[in-house]
Amino acid sequence: MGKINDILSPFTAWKHVVNKPVTIKDPVSRIAADRYRGFHKNNLEKCIGCGTCESICQNAAIDMVPVEGIETKHGDSGLRPRIDYGRCCWCALCVDICTTNSLSMSNEYIWIDEDPEVFRFVPGAEKKSWDTRQAGWQKPSDNYELYDPQRVKMGELSPEIRHDSFVEIVQGFSKEQAIAEADRCVECGICTATCPAHMGIPEYIKAIRNDNLDQGLKILYETNPLPEICGRICTHKCETVCSVGHHGEPLSIRWLKRYIADQNPADKYKEILNQGNIDDKGKKIAIIGAGPSGLSAAYYLSLMGYSCTIFEKLPQAGGMMRYGIPEYRLPYDQLDKDINYILSLGVDIKYNATVGKDITLEQLHNDYDAVYTGTGLHSGRSTRIHGTEHKNVYQAVDLLRDVSLGKEIPVAEKIVVIGGGNVAMDITRTIARLQKQKYGKVQVIATSLESEEEMPADREEIVEAREEMAIIEPGWGPVEIIIENDKITGLKVNKCLSVFDEERRFNPKFDKENQKIFPADMVIESIGQGADLSYITESFKENLEMDQRGRIIVDKHFQTSLKWFFAGGDIIQGPDVITSIANGHKAAIGIDKFINRNS
Amino acid sequence: MKEILEKVKRVFPLQNIKKQRENLYFVETEKIHLVSLITNLRDINGFKHLVLLTAVDRIENGVFQLTYLLNNDELKIDLGVRVFLDRENAEMESIHHLWKQAATYQRELREMFGINFSGSPRVDKAFILEGWDGMPPYRRDFDTLKYSEETYFPRPGRSTNDPAEYMKQKMYPDE
Repeated sequence: MGKINDILSPFTAWKHVVNKPVTIKDPVSRIAADRYRGFHKNNLEKCIGCGTCESICQNAAIDMVPVEGIETKHGDSGLRPRIDYGRCCWCALCVDICTTNSLSMSNEYIWIDEDPEVFRFVPGAEKKSWDTRQAGWQKPSDNYELYDPQRVKMGELSPEIRHDSFVEIVQGFSKEQAIAEADRCVECGICTATCPAHMGIPEYIKAIRNDNLDQGLKILYETNPLPEICGRICTHKCETVCSVGHHGEPLSIRWLKRYIADQNPADKYKEILNQGNIDDKGKKIAIIGAGPSGLSAAYYLSLMGYSCTIFEKLPQAGGMMRYGIPEYRLPYDQLDKDINYILSLGVDIKYNATVGKDITLEQLHNDYDAVYTGTGLHSGRSTRIHGTEHKNVYQAVDLLRDVSLGKEIPVAEKIVVIGGGNVAMDITRTIARLQKQKYGKVQVIATSLESEEEMPADREEIVEAREEMAIIEPGWGPVEIIIENDKITGLKVNKCLSVFDEERRFNPKFDKENQKIFPADMVIESIGQGADLSYITESFKENLEMDQRGRIIVDKHFQTSLKWFFAGGDIIQGPDVITSIANGHKAAIGIDKFINRNS
Repeated sequence: MKEILEKVKRVFPLQNIKKQRENLYFVETEKIHLVSLITNLRDINGFKHLVLLTAVDRIENGVFQLTYLLNNDELKIDLGVRVFLDRENAEMESIHHLWKQAATYQRELREMFGINFSGSPRVDKAFILEGWDGMPPYRRDFDTLKYSEETYFPRPGRSTNDPAEYMKQKMYPDE
């Protein structure tokens, strides 16, 4: 019986011969499902070439290649992904990790060609029929993240606790917090180009993730010998280009750097950095100013075996970092930790030694093999409006310096600060604290020419100043300081309509009909600082090339036209700490080249 | 579904009862109760069909998660039963005596995750990975990229650039 069945059963299929077929007549033009993962699409405008798609690809199917018409600039590598479909397994991890959400997949899956080379192309750059198709795989929008788009929250003292004290506000990460924050990094390295010192940012973040803080410290010191300081007050340009910031909050790069420095005890530095024995080259370098650029130059020169002497005008080292930045942002003990390590390499500092007064530049030129100057911008500029000659008109930098020197500064009940930069915020917040201590209430107004959006101060400075009850009044131009019976009563201002003209030149326009008076019995100016280069005497000036604005001209090694004389820091670039550090580092390399050539 | 789960809960320890939708629930139980629990579900509660048996490597917790998805055709409901196994020497009792086709799933899991179902028919025979003697490839510590690079030849003409290095060349080559 079984055998008969075996023979007959195939014929039972014939009973379906008149039925409608269940198969598809034309399988080739069949459209795939809406979420099908087909050939890639890439929005080239949105893509920043971070290469995270390449890193996550488990088949090494993606190459990052230059594309014509796309420029390399801050925040964009100029590269775009090219996909090899001989390897792509259509898993869509590249789409799901994409930091800018530029990469997606169409639902096109059919493409027949005899040339295998065509199956490797740059989506978006080489036009394909599916580029405009909506259907296909896209990263799901809700609750689907391969990394956390939110930062780990940083603990900060609340305004009620901090408003009358100079205790540090930002508390720093714990180990768990730092590792969780480090875990958000995609290691693309887009930030490195934007950091003025080109720090190995993804590398030190990786060291945190691996809980290898020795390694982290080594990476920091390769490009920056002031990590406690930069971990607190760096202008963190790196964070503005962080790829993770395109779809969420950028990495807290600055706080992560601080974490590495905070966790490593000062007495372990020499061992960790392996800088115990340095061969002396028998050459001497004089450095003018113990600010960030001078200290940075001294550090890198010392490592090369040069003996460095810093001449510092003030009683302690640090420059603007000590005498400009308030203690609540940068505590002195942390400043000292970085500085003391540099001094431990054998750097000598002559304090209270003003070049041009206590010792001349000529003496330095005669006694040393090279001279580096990083004297910074310490002279406050005046608005020169009517009334600025009054004795109750002060310069922000002078007051901030006096606070750091431990001097008592004049604090009136009502104060107006002119300026909208970080120095203006520093003095405003310092005054707010002192007023709170002296009068129990805060009455300080900071007014800037720039509108709220254009104010050069960091966002968090403005917000925190307001939290501390200071009033910020952007968009006003000072007209005159009103003086009655020899006493200041207020600052008259015009509404400022625009600060820059079409060519982005400083050319403020005012509405003179719209005036206002901010009541005050003391005014502080904080509109910028200038350099005091009086120590460069006429005989040197003759051969020292300067530009039209009186700035010393330097080459890429920060060497001036006087070959033995190098200059960097705020008098050349910036102004900011990290640029100064980078200048000092490059100058150290330049000085080494100069001395090697001459000996 | 709720009534069935209430009833079963009286005789088996069930944890993490999760409602995915009206006709789909997930529950967790201990490894030692798994076979008797699904025998009960099959023979007493109408879950006569094994839809699938699958695994997830929860490497962070050091366990494999097995999901037995069962279907009750009469009530048109699905129930996923989950159980966790130690990743080290992962071993699970076979259910091929309940459903013949389970042997195929178990053979696949043996090959892809290295989970042993001892006594399951032909469990040690290659399923799709003939001649494979490396780490089971669905384990999360299997380095797919390394495998891919070692196994497939590099296509001529391919070259890539590291974004940070490329930016250095373009923006600050001298530093």
